[in-house]
Amino acid sequence: MFSLALKNLLFYKGRTLTTFLLSLCSTVLFVVYVAFMDGSHESMLKNSLSIYTGAIQVMQEGHHENPSYDTLLEDLPSVMQTLKNIEGIRAYTPRLESFALLSSEEDSVGAMVTGIVPESEALVSRLKEALVKGRYLDSEDSNGLYMGEELAKRLGVDLGDEIALVGSATDYSFAAERFQIIGLFRTGLFEFDASSAFVNKAYFDALMLSETMASSIVVTVDDLEKAETVAGEIAGQMPSRVEVLTWKKLMASMVQAMEVDSLFGYISMGLFFIVVFFVIMIFGFINISGRIRELGLLRALGVHSYEILKLLLLESAILAFASVLAGTLIGAYLAYFYEVNPIIIKGMAETYKAYGIISDEVPTRFDLFTIAWNAMVVLLLNFLAILYPVYYIRQFTPTEAMRHV
Amino acid sequence: MKKWLLLLSFFTSLLICGEAETIINRLEENLRGKDLYAKMEIIVKTKRHTRAMLIESWGKGKKKNFTKILAPSRDQGITFLNLDKQMWQYVPKIERIIKIPASMMLQSWMGTDITNDDMVKQSSLADDYHVSILRKDGPIVTLELIPKRGAAVVWGKIISKVDTRTYTQIKDIFYDDEEVEVRAIEYEGVKQYGSHYVTTRMSIIPYEASKKGNSTTIRIRDIRFDQGISESYFSKNALIRYSR
Repeated sequence: MFSLALKNLLFYKGRTLTTFLLSLCSTVLFVVYVAFMDGSHESMLKNSLSIYTGAIQVMQEGHHENPSYDTLLEDLPSVMQTLKNIEGIRAYTPRLESFALLSSEEDSVGAMVTGIVPESEALVSRLKEALVKGRYLDSEDSNGLYMGEELAKRLGVDLGDEIALVGSATDYSFAAERFQIIGLFRTGLFEFDASSAFVNKAYFDALMLSETMASSIVVTVDDLEKAETVAGEIAGQMPSRVEVLTWKKLMASMVQAMEVDSLFGYISMGLFFIVVFFVIMIFGFINISGRIRELGLLRALGVHSYEILKLLLLESAILAFASVLAGTLIGAYLAYFYEVNPIIIKGMAETYKAYGIISDEVPTRFDLFTIAWNAMVVLLLNFLAILYPVYYIRQFTPTEAMRHV
Repeated sequence: MKKWLLLLSFFTSLLICGEAETIINRLEENLRGKDLYAKMEIIVKTKRHTRAMLIESWGKGKKKNFTKILAPSRDQGITFLNLDKQMWQYVPKIERIIKIPASMMLQSWMGTDITNDDMVKQSSLADDYHVSILRKDGPIVTLELIPKRGAAVVWGKIISKVDTRTYTQIKDIFYDDEEVEVRAIEYEGVKQYGSHYVTTRMSIIPYEASKKGNSTTIRIRDIRFDQGISESYFSKNALIRYSR
């Protein structure tokens, strides 16, 4: 039966080749398209996480929804001590965020001024590497301000200039101080660079009356995939009313935007597949219609209709498996190749900086499970496309089929 | 007959509308006078702390106001100037006059439950809102204030209960654009100062879940109307000059 099916396929070369190529191209396109879509999403997410957000954040209940001084994490030393003993944590650092007014001689701008511990901050975020001018903060700094390059532009200031900070201390009393710009940074996240400035927490605490307080503790983990498990462990050892959030919750809006983007990606691929489905079906139909007399003859020679069905399905299966396998191999190779050597579109980061794109690289994501389900979809499509032609041929009796023109 | 009824209801609504505006105008006149000097104590209660401040304020007309912080010593000498919906601040510690940008107008003023926006728009209700009467219980009138089209205001609606014997407020409830109650201001202790009646205690109670338990209470220590306040208070130079 197998050799007969193979012979048939080789006999109808044109139709076989067209169907094969169509199915092969669909598979390659699908695998590569999904790899690019997932790859760009993953790279955006990872960039955002490593720049500032971190994999896990520990904070007082309600702070994520309504950040305010009323929901600060108190008794910071004991919470930090607890984190020391949890496995899977790579580094952690406390931050005290305060929305304050920064004022230069020229202009005043509302900005997020954050007290950080310079050494441990450098282990959890890319703030230190983002330096473009001057220097990063150190633990001896007093009134040094490390400021986003875009924020400096908005205020019309540069390295060494003086900036006045006016805001509220954690007891809601008035807080004001003069700072000197010691460094400028550019993470590439436009909004962040245009609204953030950092101060040594030890000094900021004296101004904000927040010695044992923090808005959050940012935690990075050894393995991002295990963030949920580590978060669960931290939560188990924290006092009540302390929340442990993973990046999925912290970056919920970004994750949701990506899900919507993926959905639109799948819808456009779905439309493409509807076309592919009908083309394969029409080719199958033409192929089978042209063979009605041949199949009628086989029936007349005593071949059971069940076996004819088997023959047709086998032909389709050989074609589908061969094309999908070849397509998957090519697609998987491309996905792997471009993951290792991402495509570089010069100027993309500059053009789309407002959307959080910080690199000109467009990497793919090589994931065997994703590739496997992509291949299964095209395979299923191939089988579904042959169902109607097979149903059509079964309506003929052997005599009708042999007389068919 | 129908025509007459329609005409009657039209004129009644015109009269009620006119009456509501008269009440608001008389209320603002009573509160403001030609000019006004006040010394006030502000007590801010949050989850962790209770703080007290002492301030002095000079006001003239709807658009000019100067405020100086007298206590606590940490904040002494900080001055604020409101001129035509704009706000400047002088902080002696950093020796700088700062203009509060529009993006900071909804931020808290000195850690209280009053926003910078409240400070600059404290006397412009009649200008920014359509006023109508909701209810009348003898001399107590409940007014509804809906923002005028294009008015740059933050509230979706204000319901204000006014005592028309003294033209003082009893309670204001502030709503956001989605008609959700955001905060209330309760007024107590009406006292007569010359021809003006003033509520000497005012409590601002925020309704947001994150601010539950917080409140800001303002107590009038001294108030004087129509003293002929010098124009020198209402210029940027005053911020430094009167800071000392």
